Parts: sequence; structure tokens; C-alpha cells
Amino acid sequence: MSETASLNMQDIPQGQLPEHIELQRARVFCKADAPVHTEDVEYSGAYAAVGFDNSLQVDDFRRDFRVEIKNLSMDDIEFDMIGIDASLANAFRRILIAEVPTMAIEKVLIVNNTSVMADEILSHRLGLLPIEADPRLFDFLSENDTPNERNTIVFKMEVHCKKRGPRLTVKSDQLKWLPNGSELLMESPNPSTKPRSFTSFSCSQASLPQISGRPIGMKHLDIIITQLGPGQSIELEAHAVKGTGKVHAKWSPVGTTWYRMLPEVKLLKEVRGNDAEKLVKKCPRKVFDVEDVGHAMKKAVVSRPRDCTLCRECISGAGEENIALRRVRDHFIFTVESTGALPAEVLFTEAVKILEEKCERVISELS
Amino acid sequence: MDSQPEPKDSQPKPKDSQPEPKDSQLEPVIYICGDCRKEIPVKPGDAVQCRECGYRILYKKRTSRIIQYEAR
Amino acid sequence: MEHGSLTDSKNSTFCLMDEDHTLANSVRFLLNKDPRVEFCGYSIPHPSENKVNIRVQTTGDSAKDVLKESFQDLIFLCQHVRSTFEKSVADFKSTQSRQEMNGA
Repeated sequence: MSETASLNMQDIPQGQLPEHIELQRARVFCKADAPVHTEDVEYSGAYAAVGFDNSLQVDDFRRDFRVEIKNLSMDDIEFDMIGIDASLANAFRRILIAEVPTMAIEKVLIVNNTSVMADEILSHRLGLLPIEADPRLFDFLSENDTPNERNTIVFKMEVHCKKRGPRLTVKSDQLKWLPNGSELLMESPNPSTKPRSFTSFSCSQASLPQISGRPIGMKHLDIIITQLGPGQSIELEAHAVKGTGKVHAKWSPVGTTWYRMLPEVKLLKEVRGNDAEKLVKKCPRKVFDVEDVGHAMKKAVVSRPRDCTLCRECISGAGEENIALRRVRDHFIFTVESTGALPAEVLFTEAVKILEEKCERVISELS
Repeated sequence: MDSQPEPKDSQPKPKDSQPEPKDSQLEPVIYICGDCRKEIPVKPGDAVQCRECGYRILYKKRTSRIIQYEAR
Repeated sequence: MEHGSLTDSKNSTFCLMDEDHTLANSVRFLLNKDPRVEFCGYSIPHPSENKVNIRVQTTGDSAKDVLKESFQDLIFLCQHVRSTFEKSVADFKSTQSRQEMNGA
């Protein structure tokens, strides 16, 4: 690489970028009208002319990558991933939504439905109910397989509203788990042969060691499925199988999951006195605070930049010269809201595992 | 990916498609009166009328076959 | 499958089946970061088909080897992300339980 006079900057140590270039590389500038420098500079030789190596060093990644958990509950997690690129963060988000498998009702066998809700609408609603079952303990059911205790979960619902009674609300607690498999029999064309059941369970699911610790059922028992008027009844069996969100959204393990880049709010000039008070009032998320500096003077400080939603109220009008709104390009605030089958932190680990499996599959194809 | 062109998606399809063998004397089929919702057995040749309230529109009962739907 | 020239192994297009932006964008990022890569990119010929074309042009090495190494780097990154994440969760849970014990 040839060094021209303008690039031979004496005050910048070799191997580092000048400050303004480093800022463009590491931050997205959110101006009043539109964000600038949104493209990732990924090419390894992008800064070759100034002697800065932009390639990925795995040791640097290992040293710089951090995860900080902010909130953790049974079904939700909010954590920060620092030192990773947007393409990987997005890959994890896409896999969480579409490719981590779950169990959901797929086949509904209706024996009797005299309610006002049509069969297929009722079946559709049943399919969307979240099931508390670890999908890792089950196998996928393909077209040629027989439904057995390793790939199907069977539920039964039998509700009847009394003739002279009030209306009955059918909630998800009416779906009872049948660990022994289907109780319904298929109609056989030949009356002399023994009728077969819809599933072939060789043993009770409750006896399987992995399931006996955590019984299977509906995650939420108060989801309203339908309502029955006097004299109406529903009798059905629902078979749940393993699937992925790609095929149908009922199999998505997350209510949703999203990420945002960490906002950075910097005061370019000191904002004092009345202007400081006005600035604090402008921000709907209370990002700014007023600090006493003595001599009865107050100035504005940035106290909660993480809460900033980049509404740009503070830089509207004349404020643009005082405040720089930016986003840190490699710092992601990830939120995962699980529907309950798996805890949120387990879901994220599964998503990363799935990305690894994809890579391994391609590597074996390439070899 | 599920790409079976099965009619189970929106229309019910019974598991067996063969018709039941016809008896020489069918049991009376039970219909439901449109007005009083009583169950009325009707034999072939009978008048199509409710025994109790005289309403002439009778509805057929839901099939006793098990119908399978896809929960999609 | 690889579409390239028999004599020139530096430049190739790889067609991956049953893949989409999830894998392709991640590996494109890693390819870009590899100093041996002169040009790389991916495209999806039609959104209804699950096919991805990944184009790799290198400065001298075989494009297939460079792509394989990028996938292996991606596996390494994922493993590191997973272990760091699991460790953070374990630390957070132990801090939480310690706080609960102190508070109770």
C-alpha cells in the first residue's frame, strides 16, 4: 500500500484510525432528518490505506465480546450483547422466531360440536394455544411415521352446557392430557377387523423418565376458547406435534423477540440555566437531568441514555448543534419473550445451537 | 414443509370413504325441528313435519363420524 | 453446489438449498472480514424458492476453502456466544438468589 502525504498523519499511531473515522465506523449518527453512516464497514481492507486492519481476529472477538443480563424472569429476558455484528444478532432473532421448534396442536378430531363456533375455527384456535412441553424431548412427526408416544401429545376436551343453565365459557383448562394416547377409534372399512386407534402408544407418556418430572399440559389455563349456550356440547381430541415457526406461526416459541442498538446521547456544548430546564422538559423519556454546578448555576447532564427512543425531540429546532444522537453499532439490547414452553434463556441457547448446526450441515455438503 | 393437497384443510373428510352397507329397513333417521329443537324420527314415507309444533322445516343432525381438521 | 471454472478456483458462486438470509448474511459478514477475500456477496434469486447464491472471489486461495473456513469461524463465534451467554445467565441467577437470601 502506498502512503500519500495526506494520509501520513504523524499524530495518529500506526494501526489506529483517526478519531472521526473511528466514530463513523463505530456509530450510527441519528440526525434530525435521517440517520447517517448506517452501513457497516465490514471489508477487511477498507482502511488499508491508513494501515488499520479491519479483518476479524478471533482473539479480539473472544476478548471483546460480552453479555450482560439486565432482566431475567420465567418467560422473559433482556440482555446486552456487546462486540457482535448486526448480521449475527439478526440471525439469532430470525432463528428464534422461525426455526426453534415447539409443540402445538396440529390435528383436531371432532366427535361432536353443537356450539355456534364452526369446526375449523375451533380447530384454528386450539392450534394457537401454547403447550407446556419441552420440544427437545420429542421427535418430529413426518408423513410416513405413525403417531406414537415419542412424537405426539394427545389432549381431550369434553364439555357440555346444561340445558337450563347459564352460558358456559370454555377455557383452556378443559383440555385434558391423555398420557396413554388417543381413545378414539378409526372406522375400519372391514367390520370384522379390530378397529385401530388414531395413535399407537406403546407405553404411557407419564411413565417416560424425561416427562414424569414435568407433567404436560396447557401453559395458561385461563385462555377462552369458545362459549357454549344451553344444551350445546363439544367433544374432541387434539393431537400436538413438533414443528417450527417457518411452517406456521403457532409453532413459534416466542411471543416476539427484538433487539435495538444502544443509544448514545452526547452533549456537544454545555447547556445551562433555563435552556437546561427546557431540555429536561422536552425529553419524554427523561434522559436528561439538571445538575447544580455551584454559583446557583445549573447544567444539563445525560443520565439515562439507555431509555432514549430517538424521538429526536431534543434536536428538533435549534437543538441540533448541542446534542449528538448516535447508536453504538456493536452493542445490542436483546429482548426475548417466550410463550412458555422453554425458558427464555434456554431459547436463546437453542437458537445459537441451530445456527451452528446449519453451518455444520453446509460444511459437510461442501466437503 | 406441509404441502399435501388434502381436502382436510377447509373441508371435513371422513377417515373412511366407503358408504355404510344399507340395511333393508333403515332405522328412522332423527331430524331436529327448526322451531322447538326437538328430535323427531322420520321414516321413509312419513310427512315432513314436527310432531309437537307442526313446523315443517326439519334440520338434519350432525354426522356421527369423527372428522379430522388441521389446526391451521 | 458450486458453480465455478475448472481452471480458476479463486472465483466461485455457491448455491445453497433450504437457506435464507439467516445464514447467508452472517457468512457474508465473515467472508468480508477475511483478508483473502477480494469480493463477496449473496443474493436470493426468487423469494419463493429457498435458494441462496453466495459469490466468493479471493486473492489466490480456493474459494471453496475460504468459504469453508468462514463457516468454521461462524461456528466458533456461535460457540463463544453460547458459552459467554450461559456463564452470564448463571452469574446473574446466583447474584439474584444471593440478593433474595439477604433480603428475606
